[in-house]
Amino acid sequence: MAAFARLMFFGFLFLTVIYVVISIWSRSVRREKLEREWDEQGRPGDKDTYISSGMTDYENSLRRKLILLVYVIPTVAVAVIIYVTNFM
Amino acid sequence: MVYVKWGFWGLFWLILGAFFHYTLPQHDVVRITDTYEKRVDPGSNSLFWSNADTGSDPTTPSRDVFFIQTFQTNDRPMIYRNEDTGWGWPPYFKFDTSNLQAEASDLLSKKSEATAQWVVVTHYGWRNEFFSIFPNAVSIKPADGPDQSVIPWFNIVFLTVFAAFAWGIWVRWKRFRANRIDPMIEDWSDGRG
Repeated sequence: MAAFARLMFFGFLFLTVIYVVISIWSRSVRREKLEREWDEQGRPGDKDTYISSGMTDYENSLRRKLILLVYVIPTVAVAVIIYVTNFM
Repeated sequence: MVYVKWGFWGLFWLILGAFFHYTLPQHDVVRITDTYEKRVDPGSNSLFWSNADTGSDPTTPSRDVFFIQTFQTNDRPMIYRNEDTGWGWPPYFKFDTSNLQAEASDLLSKKSEATAQWVVVTHYGWRNEFFSIFPNAVSIKPADGPDQSVIPWFNIVFLTVFAAFAWGIWVRWKRFRANRIDPMIEDWSDGRG
């Protein structure tokens, strides 16, 4: 059981690092995109307001929640491997 | 400097290639001639042995390990160990060692038999006589005959995905360097060149 706990602990730690890095990266990509859009649309209104409202949309978007797949995919992969190795 | 750089990357890919060659599953068509168990005391080769069965005491220095003795299609012997990988590395999550041993001993087939029973053994690891290391058998399936070939679908998919990831990270790193690091270095070296 110690081995299982170790796998869970370090796996969770590792995936959390990946999750955080992808979150930060994805947010910065979205911010750059919003800045570019603001320029291309002929600079409508205040830049900071435009970007912060765009970022609020992003925070609630499905796209951001999809980053949770970082946890889901490896868990499913492990379950599939266990089935294939031991029960097939 | 150029030699150091190429040497570094050459070594990096060599080690990575060896790592994948050891860890990824491979398929052999063999004839099982015997199954047995033997006590092993892993020493300097302990890196190439797995753990005690899942749930057993992991601290005991020696234990019994199942082995599967086979002959390949070219009549050369190949010996597999049959150990749990459990929750450890490599991530095969193999717990059914004893079941696999039962399947193996059910498929015994000697040279003298009229119709030999060939099997496909999926395994990872290397056989090396100098270190006394053995590949670990993961699954055994009856084969149609000695000429059967298995398409390594898993390895194809895995290596393709890995290459895509490596390429994606490399491209982003290049871009990051061109946009953020190179201008900074130019700043520092302004008026010095």
